[in-house]
Amino acid sequence: MVTAQEHGHVLESKLRTVASELLKEKKVDLIIGYSKGTIPQRSSPYIARNPADTSNFIWNNLGYTNLAKYLLAKRKKKVDNKEVDLKIGVVAKGCVGRAINQLIVEKQVTRENVVIIGIPCNGMIDLNRIYEAVGTKEILDIALVGDDIVVKGRGFEKKLPFNENINTLCKACKIKTPPITDVLIGESNNLPIDEKFQDVIAFEKMPANEKRDHVQQLLHDCIKCGSCRQACPFCYCKLCFVDQNKPVWFNKTFDMNDILVFHLIRSIHLAGRCVSCGACYGACPIGINLNELTRKLEKLSKARFDYVPGMDLKTPPPMMAFKLDDDQGFILEE
Amino acid sequence: MARGNIGEFFLALKDEYDIYAPVRSSGNHVNFKKVSSADEMTLDYLNTTIPPKEIWFPRVETLFEYEIHGQDIKVMPPRVSNERETIIIGIRPCDAASFRLLRKFFDYGTFKDDLFKKHEEKIALIGLKCNEPKKTCFCTSVNGSPHKKEDFDVALTDIADKFVVEAITKKGENILQKLSFLKDASGADLEKAKQSAIKAEQAITAKFDVNKAANIVNDNFYNALWEEISTTCLGCGSCSFLCPTCHCFDVVDENDYANHRGRRIRTWDTCQSTLFTLHTSGHNPRPSQKERCRQRIAHKFCYYPNNYGVIGCVGCGRCIIDCPVNNDVRDIIQKINKIKTTQ
Repeated sequence: MVTAQEHGHVLESKLRTVASELLKEKKVDLIIGYSKGTIPQRSSPYIARNPADTSNFIWNNLGYTNLAKYLLAKRKKKVDNKEVDLKIGVVAKGCVGRAINQLIVEKQVTRENVVIIGIPCNGMIDLNRIYEAVGTKEILDIALVGDDIVVKGRGFEKKLPFNENINTLCKACKIKTPPITDVLIGESNNLPIDEKFQDVIAFEKMPANEKRDHVQQLLHDCIKCGSCRQACPFCYCKLCFVDQNKPVWFNKTFDMNDILVFHLIRSIHLAGRCVSCGACYGACPIGINLNELTRKLEKLSKARFDYVPGMDLKTPPPMMAFKLDDDQGFILEE
Repeated sequence: MARGNIGEFFLALKDEYDIYAPVRSSGNHVNFKKVSSADEMTLDYLNTTIPPKEIWFPRVETLFEYEIHGQDIKVMPPRVSNERETIIIGIRPCDAASFRLLRKFFDYGTFKDDLFKKHEEKIALIGLKCNEPKKTCFCTSVNGSPHKKEDFDVALTDIADKFVVEAITKKGENILQKLSFLKDASGADLEKAKQSAIKAEQAITAKFDVNKAANIVNDNFYNALWEEISTTCLGCGSCSFLCPTCHCFDVVDENDYANHRGRRIRTWDTCQSTLFTLHTSGHNPRPSQKERCRQRIAHKFCYYPNNYGVIGCVGCGRCIIDCPVNNDVRDIIQKINKIKTTQ
């Protein structure tokens, strides 16, 4: 068995070679990937424009940003005085690949303009678990050693098993490599989709009032900065419902009602579209795990429509499609 | 003051003051909360996730309330509960400096912000000097220091088993008079405090010149750098929401149509959002992230020095830690400094 540390190491050097060649052969105009962050707990999204830049690419378990988000900005170049879309390479773990597919289905991204560089992912480190273990001390280094995450700071060194300390989403993830790739680094490590949704069972078993309390507790510290929305590849509305003021749909305060409205409606907008990438969780400065909400909706979309978002380039998500013979009993009540 | 005296400290002050102190919630998150006993708080922390600015600049504040009956509009002052005198204990030097900086904005020339002034007068800061600055701290580059005490009313220096307590202002002296258990610090204790100040200052390794930035930014408003630093920015605004010196707000009406009344409120806002500068006409003077990133940097390192004579950043490093795409302000300043000036 390859250790978690070796897994990343091998991928990283292969990625650099492949990326450099794609740019050299002018198959892409630029490649979006990750580079080393200036703090130990985060990798930084990075754009390589020429072969030499690709030596800055890294592959580790701290890349929380869903790079598909960057495809939403229309990037152009001039060829013979005409504006043409840039051809963009994306370093894609499974969920990034699914997000790209989903954005193509939703007609936000053109297939021909994207080169998907698939990476078999083995999960992102759950920083909140690390913080819980380390406490208020500052983290000066996070590294994988064998199958352990080794966290160092002033006067402490902690070893935490990798498999237990990745995001809850990553533990449940079956589609670790993009379903569609143009170039694949390494080998696909996808598993059959026999999703059990273990992580939402406890929530489902709660009586209604406990569910309410649980969600309120979850969102209690939200400062409504909107990082979750900005990081989400599927939050691309030109004007978000919470920002509309003609008419004003929702109040702007930090009362629990207003916080609830934002998060509940936002998650419902993601039902059957969310690819469980955890970008919202990674971006939240308070560390709120919004996936507790989205996972429940993901389960519903799987159970009721047998739909898993982002697996191909043609199936529209259930909430965006209708058929004439759909059951409409719920609309008309006798 | 012995460390064990913290409990007594609370007892002596809690009847007269509302006390805010750092409280650990979960993970590495520590935030200022109103506390009623010493057990709830922790002084063993580096800095809070959310800055204490929300105590003097709450996330939401009512400006006025109104009632509308046909043509008859009645405007009423906000219903405010009688605010008590407030102590913020354990605030760090950088956050205390931000309180001073916000006064520049909320109390500028003939413009006085009543709401801010009301909070300001009631607040006393019992600050805790930093013995263990983070790697992301850069207060020494923006005229601060981990042991700076001038922005406190009372300064605490942690010397392991004891705190050296020092009144800085008249407000601080009044507080200390209420604490009968304080003993005169010994020469050895003062020496320890002095040594930890030197050690803390040396621990801050990030050092760069921010003073050049003001002129460079002014002369390079259309430089390619702004595009470069904003390409990966998501426009989430974490940097400004968690910034102790960011003070921009939105003003909105909350209508209660059914009861013919409402209130006008102000809420925290961020220059990183599209809507921040969107005009009613549809025109947006800052149409892309490029202009918005430039605004954030320029406001702190160019407009603040030019308008108020101080740098609008205290070097707490929150924007570095919490940026989801790791856009590091230290890097940005250094890139600005590398721009060749035309003069």
